[in-house]
Amino acid sequence: MVIRFSRSKVIGVERVDENTLLAHGVLDDHIYAMELDVTVRQPDFEIIAINGRMKRVTTPVCDQGIPKLQNAVGLRIPEEDFARKIHRVVGREGCTHFANLLVECCDSIMQAAVYGGWQKSMDKQEYLKGQLSSIPSLQNSCMVYSGKTL
Amino acid sequence: MILDYTRNKYASATDLEDGSVLIQTRVEDTFFAAAVEMVVKVPLLEITSIKGKILRAFNDECQEAVPLLQRAVGVQIGTGLIKTVNGLIGTSGGCPRMADLVLECCDEVILRFTVDPLRQIVSRSPEELVEAHRMFVQGNPRIIGSCVAWTKGSPLLEGIEI
Repeated sequence: MVIRFSRSKVIGVERVDENTLLAHGVLDDHIYAMELDVTVRQPDFEIIAINGRMKRVTTPVCDQGIPKLQNAVGLRIPEEDFARKIHRVVGREGCTHFANLLVECCDSIMQAAVYGGWQKSMDKQEYLKGQLSSIPSLQNSCMVYSGKTL
Repeated sequence: MILDYTRNKYASATDLEDGSVLIQTRVEDTFFAAAVEMVVKVPLLEITSIKGKILRAFNDECQEAVPLLQRAVGVQIGTGLIKTVNGLIGTSGGCPRMADLVLECCDEVILRFTVDPLRQIVSRSPEELVEAHRMFVQGNPRIIGSCVAWTKGSPLLEGIEI
C-alpha cells in the first residue's frame, strides 16, 4: 500500500515567564507547509500575539490569509466555542490550515498549563485539585473531570 | 529555552484494494499518547470501522474513552461533521482528545481526495494557473466560501457566478 496523503504537526510550548506561554507549531503535509508562533497570557489564556509563515501553498491568493491571523488576538482559549470562532475568523476568512494549526497550538498550550506543573513527587489528586481551582474551564471538560470531586 | 511541552501528531491515508480508504492517526505528547485507525467507504465517505488505543495518559480513567470510538461508525464525512463527532465522543461525558483524533482522520480523507486535482493544477504554467483554479472550483462548488482564496472578490472566482 502506498500513502496517498500524510500530515505531520509538531508543537513545542515554552514558558516565557510566569504568566506567558509561547507555542511554536509546524504543519507539513502533501499539500501545505506553514508555521505559527502563538503567545498566550495566563491566567485568562488570552492570545496576545500571533505570527505566521506560509512555506508551501496552492494558490497565489493564500498569503492573504496571513493578516487574518490577527483576528484571533484577544480571544481567550477557554471561552465557549473558541475553536469554532478560530475556524471562522482565521479559517474561513483566511486560511483553514492556519486555523487548524492555531487550534492545535492553543490546545497544546492548555495541556502544558494544566499538567506542566506536575512533578513525580506530587500527589496527582492534590495537584489536579489545585488545577481545577485555578483553571475553572477544566471542570466538566471531559469524562474524567465531569462531576469529579477531588 | 527548554520546552515544557511537546506534541507530535502524524496522520496518513492509504487506499485499500476494495476502494476504501484507511486512515491512521497517532498523537504523542508530553502527557498523552494515543492512536486511532479508521476505514472510510468511498464514495459515500462513511466510517465503516474504527479502532483505537490510549497508550499513555495522565489519568487512568482515560482508558474508558476508547470504547466511545465505536459511536463514530456510520458517520458520514460531510456537513456538520465536527458537531456530530464532538456530540458523540467529545462531550463533557466523553473525551475531547479522542474526538479530535477522529476529526483528524476525517480531515485526511478530504485532503487525500484533494491532492490529485491540486497536483494537476499546480503543474500548470503561471498563465494557466488562474484558469485551472476556476475549473477546479466549478467542479467543487462546495469550497466556495471555505477560505480567502475561494471567497467573493478573489481573482480565482472572477467570471464565476456565485
